Amino acid sequence: MFKKSWFVVLLVLAVAFAGVGVVGAQTLTVAQGADPVTLDPHGQNDQPSARVRVQIFETLVNHGPNLEIIPGLAKSWEQIDDVTWEFKLEENVKFHNGDGFTAADVKYSFERIKELPSPAAFLIDSVKEVVVVDPYTVHIVLNEPFAPILAHLAHPSNAIVNRRSVEEAGDGFGSLVAVGTGPFVFEDWVSGSHVTLSRNEQYWGEPAKVETLVIRGIPENTVRAIELETGGVDIAYNIDPTDEFRLTGTPGLILDKSQTLSTSYIGFNVQKEPFDDVRVRQAINYALDVEAVVDYIYTGQAAPAGGPLAPLVWGALDVEGYEFNPEKAKALLAEAGYPDGFKTTIWTNDNPLRMQIAEMFQADLAEIGVDVEVLIVPWATYLADTAAGKHDMFILGWVTVTADPDYGLYALFHSSQFGDPGNRSFYANERVDELLDLGRVEADPDKRAAIYAEAQEYIVAEAPWAFLIATMEVNGMRDNVEGFMAHPAGHHKLSTVSKK
Amino acid sequence: MWRYIIRRLLSLIPVLIGISLFVFLLMHLTPGDPAQLMLGEGAPAHQLEALRESMGLNEPWHIQYINWLKNAIRLDFGHSLRSKKAVATEILDRLPATAELAIAAVSIAVLIGVPVGILSASKPNSTFDNIAMVGALTGVGMPAFWQGIMLILLFSVTFQLLPSSGRLGGWQYLVLPAVTLGTAATASIARLTRSAMLDVLQQDYVRTARAKGLRSRRVVYRHALRNALIPVVTMIGLQFGGLMSGAVLTETIFAWPGIGRMLVEAINNKDFPLVQGTIMTFALTYALVNLLVDVLYAFLDPRLRTTYE
Repeated sequence: MFKKSWFVVLLVLAVAFAGVGVVGAQTLTVAQGADPVTLDPHGQNDQPSARVRVQIFETLVNHGPNLEIIPGLAKSWEQIDDVTWEFKLEENVKFHNGDGFTAADVKYSFERIKELPSPAAFLIDSVKEVVVVDPYTVHIVLNEPFAPILAHLAHPSNAIVNRRSVEEAGDGFGSLVAVGTGPFVFEDWVSGSHVTLSRNEQYWGEPAKVETLVIRGIPENTVRAIELETGGVDIAYNIDPTDEFRLTGTPGLILDKSQTLSTSYIGFNVQKEPFDDVRVRQAINYALDVEAVVDYIYTGQAAPAGGPLAPLVWGALDVEGYEFNPEKAKALLAEAGYPDGFKTTIWTNDNPLRMQIAEMFQADLAEIGVDVEVLIVPWATYLADTAAGKHDMFILGWVTVTADPDYGLYALFHSSQFGDPGNRSFYANERVDELLDLGRVEADPDKRAAIYAEAQEYIVAEAPWAFLIATMEVNGMRDNVEGFMAHPAGHHKLSTVSKK
Repeated sequence: MWRYIIRRLLSLIPVLIGISLFVFLLMHLTPGDPAQLMLGEGAPAHQLEALRESMGLNEPWHIQYINWLKNAIRLDFGHSLRSKKAVATEILDRLPATAELAIAAVSIAVLIGVPVGILSASKPNSTFDNIAMVGALTGVGMPAFWQGIMLILLFSVTFQLLPSSGRLGGWQYLVLPAVTLGTAATASIARLTRSAMLDVLQQDYVRTARAKGLRSRRVVYRHALRNALIPVVTMIGLQFGGLMSGAVLTETIFAWPGIGRMLVEAINNKDFPLVQGTIMTFALTYALVNLLVDVLYAFLDPRLRTTYE
């Protein structure tokens, strides 16, 4: 009596599981901490949306592994005069709807960014017009020379879209329709749950390694880490310190720590006493134990920042900064006329990390006789009130999204950028202004680097900020995931990722 | 009965308008500028202005409200300031998930809470009763975020029986969120059913029924329960209405794509049209659920039927 029925059952199960194995390896599931807002690259410019968009849409140029500018949809470029850049475009690129990619699409995209206006339109403020020279050549004409233009063009918000798909989709562009040129094609978006993308089989470059990409939004950090642990997702972005601690050493998981383009800082209102005295600002820098902030608040997911720029930004100085020296701090305070310290306040919003920084800061400053009151201001008012200069000190962050020092310094330290644009310290220095203006237009990279080096030295010496940290990001993945390349700006491209 | 229902529905209109005005004022009078919040720490002045203009925020607030009202009457609730999607689309995309969770949670609450309440009332101060009531107290006392994560650790990580989060198709995803959400409701309904039953069981007509020699079960289920259910049905309605407004904590922990999470984000972003539309939806849902409950009363208690003429 041959147990044929058992044999059949086993066979069916084997096939079923083999099927599961093969199909499973073709779907990559990634979890991030929030849902996208819109998939329109010219829409709301937030991290969760950008992380999905960079799989679907492409820019003229890209950032390479070392943040150098490499070809994207443009295969080569040349600056033909002070204000004109010529781009030669790739010639056999098709949009996901079959339309061919041409120079007209570049013109349409940049005009759309300016007309909407895209919330990131300011990135191409320097662009006067886009001229179609022939189907595969464009001229981007600037208002005045702007050295960082290539870095700005690499930003995901300046991606190229297809006119026909935008016009046909109307309101639905970005939610029901998202047609780009990238390695993944948009399939479906279940609002609040996940976005499903499939491999673009007609991709003009190196095709994606997985067939299906699912990007889920899981806001609770611990649950996101648990999904990684149980294999519910293959990659989980932004593992927070407590979960990093718990997951380190877990078999089957890889934790990839990488640098970002983000810094956190404490800004002084340099127009208010006593912060108008540089010695007071320097004293506070000396009084701060930044290593403790890194170790206890960020539990290692950060590095001390000696200066204003995150280390990966082009031209960032490897600056010593102010070492932890409370004695020196007290001496400087005395010299400035505050031997017994003074009372002041520090503002923070309800971000948990920032609140902890504020408390540590309070304790550190108490050691040198400065009595700091911590004021927690809701985010909705935080930006407005700090823009109005109502504060003494405040905690904030900055992301140098273009990896170029102009973006990392101009808005924060130029005297024309007081308030909302970014300079909430109300710092004004003629020489720094001069340097920042020069850096914007200088074409020669070596001269440019020297300009920004001098600007950074000034800024560190004048200390309009208490320099804190440059953040690091920890992304977790199952150990059968290969080829993950973290992008310091946080929008990691996933076409190189495969599952063993 | 129909006249009553129609009267109730018509009276909703001034209520909804009043709520919309109230929400509008709250959103506009509290600090925070959606354009500024959108742009974040680096908001060049001209970009800020251009965004504000494109969002229609430069109009005086009463003009903005009237514009909104004019469109709302034609059932056009505008577009989300952030995603640019139609508000109606945003809401309808997320409503089924919330409805599913609310129905599941209320079902658990009713299927467990009512029988437990009845049994407790039939044997007051027995061991079962004491355990049940302590259990109920614990259920109400457990915070959702703690309970949710505990359930995930137990059933997803340790026993690997259920998925940890998401709504990706299949009843397995519904279990843990529904249990988390339903626990407090179960506890409340159990306690209320018990006390309502105890109340009713003391009534004269119940004593009469027992004196007539009817079996205890028949007394409880045929005579007492229907009357005890009136306050319970009210509570079930209130619970359901509340759950339909979205359980933000549960939705956040389980990454459940519901409406509560969406509303909280919209409020933080000062996304006026989305907040307005969502709260209108809640108000409508709540009012309709209450209407349903009132109609149900008529079936439960024939004496009330005449008041509905």
